[in-house]
Amino acid sequence: MSETLADFSLGKRPQTKGMIQKVGVVGCGTVGQEIVRTISEYGIDVVFLDVNEERVQEAFVHIGEQLDEVINHWGLTPGEKRAILSRIKGTTDYADLAECDIVIESISSRKKGTSLEIRKEIFQKIEAVVKPDAIISSNIATLMISDLSNGLKHPERAIGMHFILPINKTNVIEVVKGINSSDEAFSHVAKFAGMINKGIIKLNESPGNIVTRMLVTTINEACEILMEGVASVSDIDLAMRESTGYMFGPFEMADRIGLDKVLKYMENLYQEFGDKKYKPSPIIKRLVRANYLGRITDRGFYNYKSGKPVDQTVTCAVIK
Amino acid sequence: MKIIVLNCGSSSIKYQLFEMPAKAVLAKGIVDKIGLKGAAIKHKRSDGAEVKLEGEILDHQSGIEFLLGILISEKYGSIKSLDEIDAVGHRVVHAGEKFSGSVYITEEVIAALEDCVDLAPLHNPPNLKGIYAMKDLLPEVPQVGVFDTAFHQTMPPKAYLYGLPYSLYEKYKIRRYGFHGTSHKYVSKRACEALGLDISTQKIITCHLGNGASMAAIDGGKSVDTSMGMTPLEGLIMGTRCGDLDVGALLYIADKEETSIPYTSTLVNKFSGMLGISGISSDMRDIEIAAENGNERAKIAMEMYQYRVRKYIGAYAAAMGGVDMIIFTGGIGENDTVTRTKSLEGLEFFGVKIDVEKSLKSRGKEELISTPDSKVTVIVVPTDEELMIASDTYEIYEQIAQEINN
Repeated sequence: MSETLADFSLGKRPQTKGMIQKVGVVGCGTVGQEIVRTISEYGIDVVFLDVNEERVQEAFVHIGEQLDEVINHWGLTPGEKRAILSRIKGTTDYADLAECDIVIESISSRKKGTSLEIRKEIFQKIEAVVKPDAIISSNIATLMISDLSNGLKHPERAIGMHFILPINKTNVIEVVKGINSSDEAFSHVAKFAGMINKGIIKLNESPGNIVTRMLVTTINEACEILMEGVASVSDIDLAMRESTGYMFGPFEMADRIGLDKVLKYMENLYQEFGDKKYKPSPIIKRLVRANYLGRITDRGFYNYKSGKPVDQTVTCAVIK
Repeated sequence: MKIIVLNCGSSSIKYQLFEMPAKAVLAKGIVDKIGLKGAAIKHKRSDGAEVKLEGEILDHQSGIEFLLGILISEKYGSIKSLDEIDAVGHRVVHAGEKFSGSVYITEEVIAALEDCVDLAPLHNPPNLKGIYAMKDLLPEVPQVGVFDTAFHQTMPPKAYLYGLPYSLYEKYKIRRYGFHGTSHKYVSKRACEALGLDISTQKIITCHLGNGASMAAIDGGKSVDTSMGMTPLEGLIMGTRCGDLDVGALLYIADKEETSIPYTSTLVNKFSGMLGISGISSDMRDIEIAAENGNERAKIAMEMYQYRVRKYIGAYAAAMGGVDMIIFTGGIGENDTVTRTKSLEGLEFFGVKIDVEKSLKSRGKEELISTPDSKVTVIVVPTDEELMIASDTYEIYEQIAQEINN
């Protein structure tokens, strides 16, 4: 056998494990892509998995386009882009996740009905291939990590991570400890967050964590104001941006997340808490039925052209 | 006595083992990709034996532990035991206003360097990691810090202050610090040594032209001005850094292109300089080839580079009230004969006469390139920052030993 560095250790201290060299991401929709890109930007290898080769290729194209956009604004050099892409591998085979130290499930929450069963199944598929000490995580908004992990052989390795959009601009991750999550899993995830330059907000599990719960109620209230004819979509957004320093107004945020997802978050929270403040606003339901899903369909509360809002789709009744 | 010199970067450690005062390099190498995949140590012994060893290197401390392990190994080593190491010299990038020379590292020094992390957030933390690791691994061995900024601490306020509200200097220590101090100091000392001149009588302009580039005005052996500022961005045009720039232009660009602070930083640090102007490369050799083949932007880039050097020579001659010697060093200063020669064009009026033929031939060696009748001596001196660190470490070690003996 050839020599390695280990042959030259002074043995002054135990070589503790703890390096995170490879991270897996299951599901590579818009959010999954952002997660993959961010991890790779910080020099960590990423394997992402999606259901078929087409979706894998599509994700690669989109990530490339996002990076080009950053280059156009001088945020990245072409060489750095090549390095970022070289660390990303796409696959459709769970076996390729075997070497990952952390695997994050981030499947699209767009499909109808609850995705709990699908996600649970994914967790089990991940556990079947990864190392015994690998962390299994989910980028969850309104689902509970304890529910997702109860089919695992080792539920203590499961922990929730909620990335806040837009991931490359926000500085924190909500890290959610489930009933069974171990302290070791938590400290591992905290270390990983540090490696991608994010702080953490430690939470005890609760549907909607902090961010989603606050956002959906704000969006609902904004819809109320709109329906009452108090002010227009863009004026409500402007007022909230200026008064609170939010990056986006409630409607802009809803369009960014996707109205179908917002609707789903509301329904899940309403079901969980039974409080009508979470009951989806009829405007959101109508927009989703009309396939006005936000930025992704170029129509939501705003109409979009080349990714920029051009006008508003919803106007409220005003007494004349 | 044996001194190990460490230059710790964010994911690499360059090291050299010296026999002092003989100035002999016993071994050198690089610990690369610390904390990343593909981590390895490339090690070379003075007899030419070379090895590349791969494995997991979690952090700076394990990297240093491995390199020490290699140094004492039978197969690749140069020493029998760690007890043979008498001192450690560290390159430290930023010492703020705290130190004007190399120092023996004590707890107070470490605390002072921790205070400077804000000024060099990318460089000082890994430098400190190296210090902490050595403290842990070789607790009995004295450590010495050699600072990039220290040599320029002799600059007077008129040279180091910016035309900004004075309160910002008081509050955040916003001022010119300058870098490459170890190199400017080494080449100025070395040139005087080689030419048998007394440095205290000399007005010297040093040009450290590498991928990063800076110049210094050295009067009587003391730095009185330098082109890099609070950060290494100011001054000469560099490979990918813009050098001197109207701040107003930057504000205008940030507004028009809607760039955030980090993106604007990338723009001036990575997209600018020779790469930005030529659109070809940050490497002077590629640009020269393109210019020879008639590429206009490559030609302009080269002219700009030379012009900026010439302008600073004029400025520093004026600042010192004359110039006796101009020194070239660094990758471009030592090897790029064309850039060096052209930077000096038109300076005959204040006594610079170049032996053009010699200057166009001299590569990578210590050599005079001015004519014997030139009023200003122009010389190329290859820089050796590691040796300078080893020498400073040796000097401080001797001082301490003397104090103890007394």
